[in-house]
Amino acid sequence: MNTENFATETSTRISVQEIVVRYHPNQEPVLDRLSLQILPHKLNVLIGPNGCGKSTLLKAMARQLRLSSGAVFIEDRNINSFSALELSQYVGILFQENFAPNDLTVEELIYYSRYPRLKLFESLREEDYHAVQWAMEITNTLRWRDRMIRELSSGQRQLVWIALIIAQESKCLFLDEPTSYLDMANQIEILDCIHRLNREMGKTIVVSIHDLNMAAQYADWIFAMKDGRIHSFGAPQNIITSELLHEVFDVEAKIIYDQQDGAVYCIPKHVGYSSESVARRE
Amino acid sequence: MELTLPSSRRKKSKYLFMIMIIAAVSMIIIAGSVILQISGGAYQTSPNEVWDALFSSEVWRNPGFLLRLLLGNVVCDHLQVPEALPVSVSTMVVWSIRVPRVLVGLLVGLNLAFAGSIFQAITRNEMASPYLLGINQGAGLMISLILVLFPAMSSLMPLFAMLGGVAAFLIVYAIAWNHGASPVRLILAGVIVGAVASAIQTALRFMISDMMVMHTAMNWLSGSLIGTNWGQVRMILPWSILTVIICLSLTRYLDILMLGDQTATSLGLSVEKWRFILAFVGIMAAASSVAVAGLVGFVGLIVPHIIRSVVGSPHHRMFIGCLFVGPALMALADVISRLILNPIQLPVGTITGTVGGIFFLFMMRRKKEFGRL
Repeated sequence: MNTENFATETSTRISVQEIVVRYHPNQEPVLDRLSLQILPHKLNVLIGPNGCGKSTLLKAMARQLRLSSGAVFIEDRNINSFSALELSQYVGILFQENFAPNDLTVEELIYYSRYPRLKLFESLREEDYHAVQWAMEITNTLRWRDRMIRELSSGQRQLVWIALIIAQESKCLFLDEPTSYLDMANQIEILDCIHRLNREMGKTIVVSIHDLNMAAQYADWIFAMKDGRIHSFGAPQNIITSELLHEVFDVEAKIIYDQQDGAVYCIPKHVGYSSESVARRE
Repeated sequence: MELTLPSSRRKKSKYLFMIMIIAAVSMIIIAGSVILQISGGAYQTSPNEVWDALFSSEVWRNPGFLLRLLLGNVVCDHLQVPEALPVSVSTMVVWSIRVPRVLVGLLVGLNLAFAGSIFQAITRNEMASPYLLGINQGAGLMISLILVLFPAMSSLMPLFAMLGGVAAFLIVYAIAWNHGASPVRLILAGVIVGAVASAIQTALRFMISDMMVMHTAMNWLSGSLIGTNWGQVRMILPWSILTVIICLSLTRYLDILMLGDQTATSLGLSVEKWRFILAFVGIMAAASSVAVAGLVGFVGLIVPHIIRSVVGSPHHRMFIGCLFVGPALMALADVISRLILNPIQLPVGTITGTVGGIFFLFMMRRKKEFGRL
C-alpha cells in the first residue's frame, strides 16, 4: 500500500470520505467505504479492471448517484449542499454514453452547456460566445462547427462532447473512459487535449483509462482500484509495477522503466493462473 | 479573441427560409379552409358574401359587436360596452356561428401541437403525445364526470380538465417508473390508462338521463368542433396565449432535457423541477383543448414530427413551426371531416384519428429504436 503524503492546496479540494454505493440493497456494494483525495490542478487517473467501480466513483463524485453512506466534499462543503447550478460550476463530467438529437449541429450542441446559466429571457452573453469558441478551439472541433452530430465519427463525437463540458467552464473535469473504442490517433488526440486543459488552464482532471501505457504517460497521479476500493495510489512509476499488475489486474507483466525520461512501459505477458484468480474470472 | 456568430449566417438563413416556407404553406391551408368552412353549411353563402361578411364595415366599425362576441354579453354589460349596432343576417351567421368554430379549431390545433412537442422532449420520444400518454383521456374523464354530476359548472371546464390530465400523467408516470421511466414503458402505461379512462367514460354515458346532455357528451367524446361558439373561444383562448408565451420562454430547458437526465443534471439543470413544470404546461395546453373539442387524437404526434424533420430539434424553431402547422393541420382536418360525407358532418377526431393512426404505424416501421429522439 502506497501511503505517500501530499500537501493539499487551498483550491478545489475534492475529498471522498468512506462512501458506500449499492445498486441493489441486498447485493455487495459497488464502492465499499472508499476514501480518496483528488490532487487539485493535477491530472488524476483511475485504473482498474472492469467492474471495479471506476465509473461509479466518478458518478458519485459528480452527485449522479445516491450514496448509501459516506460523503463527497468539494472545498470542505458536502456536495449535497450545492444546487445543481452551483455544482456544475465545480464539476463537469463526461459519461461513457451520451445522447444528442440527430439533427443538431456541433456548435448548437456546445451552446447547450451555457443554457443553464442564463436567466429567463436572457440572451446569450459575450462570455458565452467566448466560452464556446474557446472550447471548440482547444478541442480542435472548430472545423466541424456546422456539421451535424450524426455525420461525425465516434472519435470526433467524443471530442465534441469534451468541448461541451469544457464550455461549461467548471473547475474540475471528470472523464469516464474517454478513449475507449477509439483508434490510437484519436486516443492520443483526446488525451493531449485533456493534458492541455490541465497544464494551460490548471483544471483538476480525473479520468479513467484502460490503457496502462497511456495512463502512465499522461498521469500526474494514479489511483488503482480493485473491488470497489482504492488499492493504492501514487506517481505513475510507483504504481505501474509488476506486483501491482499482478494484484489488481491478475496479469503477469514486464515493466520497462526508461531512465532517460522517467517513462514507464508495461508489456502484459499472460494472465495469472492462481486458483484464486481463475475462480474469480469464472 | 475574435468574436464569431453562434452559427454561420448561411445556416441561420437556411432555417429562417424553411420556417417562412412552413408559415406560408400553413397560411394558405388555413385561408383555404377558412373560406370553405365559412361558406358551407345550412345557410348557404357564396364566397363573395363570405368575403363581404368577414371584412364588412358594419363589423369592423362596430366595436360593440366584436367585443360582445369575444367577451360575451355578461362581461360586456358589466364593463358597459356599448350595445352592438344591428348587422345583416349573413354577417350575423358568419360571425356568430362559423368564425368561432374556425377559431376554436385553430386554437385546439395550436395547443395540441405545443403539448405534443413538450411531451416528446421530456420523454425524449417521438412517439409521445398527450393522447398516447393518456392525458387527453384523463382530462376527458374528468369532464364527463363534471357533465354528469355538476352540469352547471361548465365554464370551469379547462381547470377540471387540467386536474384530470395531471392525475392521468402522475398515474402513467408511477406505472412506468422503474429506475427511470423508459419511453416504451411510458407509452404502454399511457395507452392502458387512456383505455381505462375511456371505458369509464363510456360507462358514464349510460348514467346521463338528459338527452341534450347526452348528445353533447357523445359529440364531444369523439372530438368534435360541431356546435362550438364564442363561449368555447373564451374558454380556450387565455390558455393558448399562456401556453405560447411560456413555451417560447422555456425553449432552452426543453433543449437541455433532450440530452438526457444525466447530462442535463451535470450541466446544472434541476431536471426533476423543470420536467415537472414543463409537463404541467403541456397538460395545461392539452387539457384546455380537450375541454372545448373533446378527444382529438394524434395532432400532437404528427405536427412536431413534421416540423422537426424540416427545421431540426432546437425548440425555439420547433415552437415557431407549431404556431403555424398546428392550426393548419386542424383546420384542414376539420374541412375534410365536414365535406367528406357531405351533408353528414363527422367529428374531426375521426379524421385525425384515422390519418394519425396510419402515420404512427408508418413511423413505427421506419424507426429502428422505438421513437427515440
